[in-house]
Amino acid sequence: MSASSLPQAATPAAPAPAKVETPFRRFVSEFFESKTATVGLIVFTLLVLIALFAPLIAPQNPYDLAQLDIMDGRLEPGTRNGMDTFTYWLGTDDQGRDMLSGIMYGLRISLSVGAGSAIIACLVGASLGLLAAYAGGRTDSVIMRLVDLQLSFPSILAALMILAFLGKGVMNVVLALVIVEWAYYARTVRGTALVERRREYIEAAQCLALPTHRVIFRHLLPNCMPPLIVVGTMQIARAIALEATLSFLGLGVPITEPSLGLLISNGYEYMLSGKYWISFYPGIALLITIVSINLVGDHLRDVLNPRLKK
Amino acid sequence: MKQSYRAAVLAAVSAFGLGIAMPAKAQNVTIAVGAQVTSLDPHYHALSPNYAVAEMLFGALAGFDSAGRIQPGLAESWRPVAENVWEFKLRPNVRFHNGNAFTAEDVAFTISRVPTVPNSPSSYALYTRAIQSVEVVDPLTVRFHTEGPYPVLPNDLAQVAMLDKETHEGAATEDFNSGKVAIGAGPFRFVSFRSGDRLELARNDDYWGPKPAWERVSYRIIPNDGARTAAILAGDVDMIDQVPTTDIARLRNDNRVRISERNGLRVIFLALDHQHPEGSPFITDNDGKPLGRNPLLDLRVRQALNMAIDRNAIVGRVMEGAAIPTAQFLPQGAFGYVPGLEPPRPDAEAARKLLAEAGYPNGFRMTLHGPNDRYINDARIIQAIGQMWTRIGVRTAVEGQPWTTFVARAGRQELSAFLVGWGTASGEASSPLRSLTATYSRDRGWGGSNRGRYSNPAADAKLEAALRELDDAKREALLQEATRITMEDVGIMPIHIQKNVWATRPGLEHDSRADELTRAQDVRPAGAQPAAR
Repeated sequence: MSASSLPQAATPAAPAPAKVETPFRRFVSEFFESKTATVGLIVFTLLVLIALFAPLIAPQNPYDLAQLDIMDGRLEPGTRNGMDTFTYWLGTDDQGRDMLSGIMYGLRISLSVGAGSAIIACLVGASLGLLAAYAGGRTDSVIMRLVDLQLSFPSILAALMILAFLGKGVMNVVLALVIVEWAYYARTVRGTALVERRREYIEAAQCLALPTHRVIFRHLLPNCMPPLIVVGTMQIARAIALEATLSFLGLGVPITEPSLGLLISNGYEYMLSGKYWISFYPGIALLITIVSINLVGDHLRDVLNPRLKK
Repeated sequence: MKQSYRAAVLAAVSAFGLGIAMPAKAQNVTIAVGAQVTSLDPHYHALSPNYAVAEMLFGALAGFDSAGRIQPGLAESWRPVAENVWEFKLRPNVRFHNGNAFTAEDVAFTISRVPTVPNSPSSYALYTRAIQSVEVVDPLTVRFHTEGPYPVLPNDLAQVAMLDKETHEGAATEDFNSGKVAIGAGPFRFVSFRSGDRLELARNDDYWGPKPAWERVSYRIIPNDGARTAAILAGDVDMIDQVPTTDIARLRNDNRVRISERNGLRVIFLALDHQHPEGSPFITDNDGKPLGRNPLLDLRVRQALNMAIDRNAIVGRVMEGAAIPTAQFLPQGAFGYVPGLEPPRPDAEAARKLLAEAGYPNGFRMTLHGPNDRYINDARIIQAIGQMWTRIGVRTAVEGQPWTTFVARAGRQELSAFLVGWGTASGEASSPLRSLTATYSRDRGWGGSNRGRYSNPAADAKLEAALRELDDAKREALLQEATRITMEDVGIMPIHIQKNVWATRPGLEHDSRADELTRAQDVRPAGAQPAAR
């Protein structure tokens, strides 16, 4: 017996063998009904592609100190570089780093840190949330008090303390973000799972004496997915913003490998001197990234929430 | 504020054009400084802003002029009367703000108080340690007995603010901060102090020296660079210190402000690991494997690294001109400056050749550390040096850290190459030679900040001779030789000497100081007589 057919059978609107309209197809068509969400998705895909292929398309490797020239520092957008081989379309920062290349590489760090920490936090948080809902009793209260504790603490403060303890570095930033973010997933999943576990299909699975982990991960989890996907999307945007904040405060990535937040922070002191481009363009890139993810996330919530259905 | 500015201009015009004296109208000045005044107790926390306040409220036996040369203060003159005895003649008729006379007894009391201040984060006892006993000869003559010859005693005593025995016996640091005993013999008297915000002062009309131009002084603390610049542009304050280098170029072209600057006494330099002969903690070969030896112990490698650094590029592009490239501890004109000792011409080709001769034709990998919140543009400077070293084949990673973390690691010899700075408060080369490059010895008190553990017996010998030489000319020659030996051996790599930069409103004149102190007695309406010593 196929495990995945069980939860599908439990969803009344989706008959298992349907060919014309699977839940996924319906979801896709509903998603693309919104023009803003479609634009958001396209922009986001574009940003991911830029980040993926940055080493191929960027005019300069901004992380290789030998390629930077201090004499090219703080050049205005559109200036040719000192050796006259390419143009700094978005200008350079104080070290002579091409802002366009810097943004492309910075996007790589921001997106991978954001997505990486969101996925790990999701794994941790969702597992703990499911466990809390399924086991109930003392396990539930211990986990949920932990969640309460975590959520009552401002995330930026918690992340700052963790980084002060762990030291700098990309992996430490991911770890700090995971520690700060897991609670959101745990709470969301537990809420959904508490409702789902009283449904008949769980009872049926339990009656079949299936192992507990199988009931949790193959039966309960798939039905908790929609809210999890929504929270996950939003949390990616949050993680990117948080990473940018940490880098801006000088606690994130190394100074020679700037992410978007560090690029903004590099140029911040030059704002008053009229050298706007050092902070401005990375800021715009960060803004576009977060807005596009949020547009997708917002619409996902509408599509996946049955109560908002027409 | 506007009014005081107009009054200042009026005063300037009238003093200039008509040759009449300053008008009787009260005059106020507002100064914004970037660093916190942490205490009004002049023996609590040895820190530049506290020195500045101590020189406004109290004053010491000797002082420094704006170029950093020593000159008389509350003492009129001093001379060694024996190998190990200094005699100071005090200035007669000096009175504290409360009317008490300043006498030799007060000097003896002050020297005894300095090492006893509780919980001092950075003690002034350093400056009185050489004194074994104080002998009061008569009310205006005092003798200091030291263990051996101690030529720099006047320099040390210039750092120690004089207190009144009657007022300050048993006074606690809190009593100074509350203003209860903030009573000295300085050009200004205490009005009020709000920690972290502002200090209000009024002119001391009984001051022994030239009268300051200002009736009232508001000394505000604005740590944020942008806010300080904005305050002077908006006309909220009459002067700011520590003008951010990013704003200097713009402010030069702005007719709402005037820039005043002077070469400072703070050198920014790189120190190298000499502690680990079997391999430095942050140096590996190009594949990331340990080298098994420390390349920095090879003079040719140090010369190559030194030659790779383009100091003019750093000064021009990173510091925006607010520094002078250097190859020694002090700027021209200071005691112990070596004429003709210049930085090497940047030459990547020659540097690569030297590396190859030393057995590193393909270079190696290294991490350059530095603080990111301590010196002007510190993290930017190490990145620029990282570029220059990478270009000669030494692939350099750069790590900037908060000062407290950084300095702890550097002090435990955990780093290979790092950027630090040294401000020579005494204005003479024995201070950096003794602290930065002399062989580390806890017993002697040498090499206290020699965090790379560089050692050169030849330089040590010259320094030792200098510290026992009471004749100034001979001492300076010995200090110059010690400096030359150290720098030719690339014991440290000086990068530049910071310029101290202030901005004032037009119509004010500021006597900028090498020692980076911001004092109200150094500002006056344009055309008025210089007020400060």
